[in-house]
Amino acid sequence: MDDVLVTASLLFVAAAATAAVFNRDPARQAVVLSLLGLGLAVAFTVLQAPDVGLSQLGVGSALTPLMILLTVRKVRKVRRTEKGAGSGPGSGGGKRRR
Amino acid sequence: MNVWLGAAALLLAAGLGPALWGAVRGAPGRRVVAQNFATLLLCLLFLLLAQGYGRPAYVDLALVVSVLGPAGTLVFARLLLGEEDRDPPGVRWLTPVVVTGTAATVLPLCVVTGPGRATVKLLVIGVLLLAGGVVTTRAVRRG
Repeated sequence: MDDVLVTASLLFVAAAATAAVFNRDPARQAVVLSLLGLGLAVAFTVLQAPDVGLSQLGVGSALTPLMILLTVRKVRKVRRTEKGAGSGPGSGGGKRRR
Repeated sequence: MNVWLGAAALLLAAGLGPALWGAVRGAPGRRVVAQNFATLLLCLLFLLLAQGYGRPAYVDLALVVSVLGPAGTLVFARLLLGEEDRDPPGVRWLTPVVVTGTAATVLPLCVVTGPGRATVKLLVIGVLLLAGGVVTTRAVRRG
């Protein structure tokens, strides 16, 4: 049963990591990244390292996505103001990446 | 080895797998709902693992998830979801699944544990899960 749990959690981690690579939009990537963090916590726990899993949970489930989303929002805001200042009102701000 | 670890393996394959599939594809609303489902299932998974390995200390992991999971979902609901993501598909299943899953996992564990501090801890985790489910459902609905 231990082997089944370890294999299943490692498969989950591999699938989540692959999915995180193939999602190209950073904001959506953050959601997959948080699931990858949860999967890693499970993997550490079934490998009998719950302390590592605990720190992984704290960092991976809330903190990393928060920082990524704040960064994405800041970059978009800066880009929009630069566009608006460069080519006049009306032309910027309408375009959004996906 | 025992029935708790079997249930944990089943939950990992049949619960977290589909949640990952939902988080990988589709609109942001659907992804956030799937992430919320994943944190709920993860909390129940840690409870089952603690019972299966016979180590009550592992319950702390479930306690942390039951607090941090809804917090992460609120972060996504605040920063990722826009007007167009209001009322995403699957959100109406959130509260029923939270209630059934929590009841189906916490109550048998309480019966096995017997009266004492450990049972109170389990009940606190259950209440935190229910509260987190209600709060995140409202936050995601509003978009």
